Amino acid sequence: MTTTQQPKEQVLIRYGGVAAAKREREQLLASMMNPEGKPEALEGVVVLDASYANFAGIIAASFFAEFGAEVIKIEPPEGDPARKMTPFGVTVDGVGIPFLMEARNKRYFTLDLRTQEGRKDLVKLAKKADIIIETFPAGQMDSWGIGYRQLSQLNPRLIYIAITPYGQYGKRAEEFARMPDSDITAQAASGLAAIVGDPESSTEPYNWPTRTGTWMAWYMSGTQAAMGGALALLFRELSGEGQMIDIATADSYANLAQYPVIAGNTWRKARPRLGRYDFSMCPYGIFKTKDGFVAIAAGRDNDFRALLKILNLFKREVEEEFKTISDRITDNLPRIDQLTEILESATTKHTSDELVTKTINYSLKTVRSKLSGGGIPFVMKVESPSTAMKNLHWYVRKSFQQVDDPKLGKFVLPVNFAKMSETPPRVKWVSYEIGKDNDYIRQKYLSE
Amino acid sequence: MEDYFRFTQTLFDPSRAKDKPEPLKGIRVLDFTHFIYGPTCTGILARYGADVIKIEEPGSGDMLRLGAWWGKYWKHTNPLSHSLHHNKYFVTINLKKPEGKELVYKLAEKADVAVENLAAGTAEAWGVGYTQLREVRPDIIYLSCSTYGQYGPLRFFPGWDLLAQAAAGTITITGYPGTDKYYKLPDYLGDFYPGTLGALVVLFALYYRKKTGKGQYIDLAQVETLTRLLPHFTYFSITGQDWERTGNVDPSMAPAFIHKTRDSKFVAIAAGTDEQFKALCTAMGQNNLATKYPTELERLKPENAQELNRIAQEWVSQKDAAEIVNLAKQHGFPAAEVVDDYQITHEEWRQERASVETFYDEMYHEFILPGPQAILSKSPSKVKWLCRPVGYHNRYILKGWLGLSDEELQELEKKKVIGYWDDRPGAKPPIYYDIDTDPLFNYRGNGGGTA
Repeated sequence: MTTTQQPKEQVLIRYGGVAAAKREREQLLASMMNPEGKPEALEGVVVLDASYANFAGIIAASFFAEFGAEVIKIEPPEGDPARKMTPFGVTVDGVGIPFLMEARNKRYFTLDLRTQEGRKDLVKLAKKADIIIETFPAGQMDSWGIGYRQLSQLNPRLIYIAITPYGQYGKRAEEFARMPDSDITAQAASGLAAIVGDPESSTEPYNWPTRTGTWMAWYMSGTQAAMGGALALLFRELSGEGQMIDIATADSYANLAQYPVIAGNTWRKARPRLGRYDFSMCPYGIFKTKDGFVAIAAGRDNDFRALLKILNLFKREVEEEFKTISDRITDNLPRIDQLTEILESATTKHTSDELVTKTINYSLKTVRSKLSGGGIPFVMKVESPSTAMKNLHWYVRKSFQQVDDPKLGKFVLPVNFAKMSETPPRVKWVSYEIGKDNDYIRQKYLSE
Repeated sequence: MEDYFRFTQTLFDPSRAKDKPEPLKGIRVLDFTHFIYGPTCTGILARYGADVIKIEEPGSGDMLRLGAWWGKYWKHTNPLSHSLHHNKYFVTINLKKPEGKELVYKLAEKADVAVENLAAGTAEAWGVGYTQLREVRPDIIYLSCSTYGQYGPLRFFPGWDLLAQAAAGTITITGYPGTDKYYKLPDYLGDFYPGTLGALVVLFALYYRKKTGKGQYIDLAQVETLTRLLPHFTYFSITGQDWERTGNVDPSMAPAFIHKTRDSKFVAIAAGTDEQFKALCTAMGQNNLATKYPTELERLKPENAQELNRIAQEWVSQKDAAEIVNLAKQHGFPAAEVVDDYQITHEEWRQERASVETFYDEMYHEFILPGPQAILSKSPSKVKWLCRPVGYHNRYILKGWLGLSDEELQELEKKKVIGYWDDRPGAKPPIYYDIDTDPLFNYRGNGGGTA
């Protein structure tokens, strides 16, 4: 496996310098360009990923792996069914795209938890592990004799993360214990789907609740599970004790994005779906251009005025009609449609790049001028994933890594989402074969 | 052995959570953030026990305070500020004054973490960047949150949620194929999610510091955290094609979709494994399908997936939502009704579980908050107080932590280095509240606070 060619440090200094900053900062940023050879934050932490047919567990394990933990994926001899969950059935060497995407820095160990021997081996591993992740029905591991109750007796420092649709305790958890998890049901049950989609007045099925185009609920739950694990690691430093962490995927969106509960509480009703519009701000959304779409955010009044000037729409009838924030509240959709139509009549005359350049030039003038009212509308070209990754910026930041695998060929992974000066995350290897590290694991952890 | 759910009920019992220890006890955070992205990060740290000092400009404070959506304030506050800013200390410092910077450096001596989400390089230019704070606190962990990161050609490009989504490609993945219907990730998820990941990275850095004593600088770019959510790049690099939008259908499982039921509700169902598919077939009374499409990859072939989704959608449209969920529970496949804001807030089981928390606050009284991101058995999260007016904790922190005297405080007030709220909704106390008798706001102790 080789990675893409590294950009020179010179490039970075050119792009990292800030007029007001000292050379010290430039050096710091230059030193952060390359993660290789630096220590890792979670060095020495051993994570068992016993998740089954559930990407929330796999994703949580990925976060630990990217930051340096030894992550051991435990799966039955036929493999985790998650390997086959892949868009349109596209696989490479029998493995699905999402699984490949999360197959970073992991070890693969075959262990059949349905058998007695499998469970015995798991106990042995758990005695030496710091964290275990599982996604079986609530109480399943316990009934096998390898739940938190039993494992914490054998290893009181163990951190046990359980991910299920409705959690580990309470009437709901018990009633729905046997219901398996999936991303789309978690999107529905956590309040995400309800606010994506066209408004009531549009046509079916566009005005139905809509799923987001990536496994948002699983990614959020996975992040939350990793967060629970990290908090428990810190608490273990204080107390010497492990603990159990309960992640319900039906909580994921509501607890991460906060708005559903805040609105449900203070409005005492559900918010409607608004299609391409936003609740708090207008204009705040995507607009057609000559060659695609741009995202425009110009919510404040001075931003809005500036946008009108840029689009050559600064006419009395438009400006007066939509002058203040309260003239642009998205509760009156026909009005907002009218405004959008006016704006699009101008945006469609330009290409996306032209609009971005025009706005930037305008904003540069405004920030230097005391007279123009300070409006800074934000305009950005709407990229599809295939065009987004081509920007030079991501090349300089090494945000995408090209992997060249003898069996899988070349493919790209989004990596290094945080740049850290001491312990940067990194992808050291990508591997995916079932049981690939059986010998290594047996020798390292099960030899006594 | 004791019944499993009785055991877990005792283990996690929400009514006992307030007596349990906090995982981040003693961690001190200097918070230079505003709006949603940065505050989400520090808010998570505060909820799990860190002392977060939110440094605001005197007068208006964080701009988020002032703009409640659709002008709907709650007791003169933006209701979102309570879920973003609970448990934080609200201190105003004018960073443009040299005395203001001095105060920050004194606070930084006692801080473990600092977080900012200003434009790249701004914190440095204001004198409160990493290279400056590490002079007074060499092992500080400093997180800079920005849209494009601190280096690279686009580093000065302005941006927030929507713009980051546009640049990362998350806007083009949701919606219906062959139409202009694109939907962004809702509710500023492009701020909330990166903020959450920022907290995760800080926790990892804190763990490393516990082990080695070393702090560090973290450069978090919103766009990069959003690209981490997309297998679409890998898909494109392998197939050479963009992953087309699929509306309400999940193309990675078959069947998997959201559909309208007979009683005009919406239900999501999915069959991600062979067992789940068999269970669904049994529930639909179509066991022949299970033999016809025995494997996941067979079912995922586009023509088969289309057929299976069609059959299952028809079945869903002839049943009531409750019926489908019951069948799913009985047979063992994933199914869930689409729930909206109101249901989430008021469903009994969420309150019971404390996924949604009703909190009684001294100043704002009863308020319902979203639950914590993760529920921990031994060191759970706690809500201690809601958002407070601008400058509310000035005296408590500056006297208690830094040991300043009343005269020194008055001097700073006179020089406009510190200050209190403007008379406007979002910044000021609620109208019914008697701030003059508030013991924390009028903190009388000296040097004896939490320092």
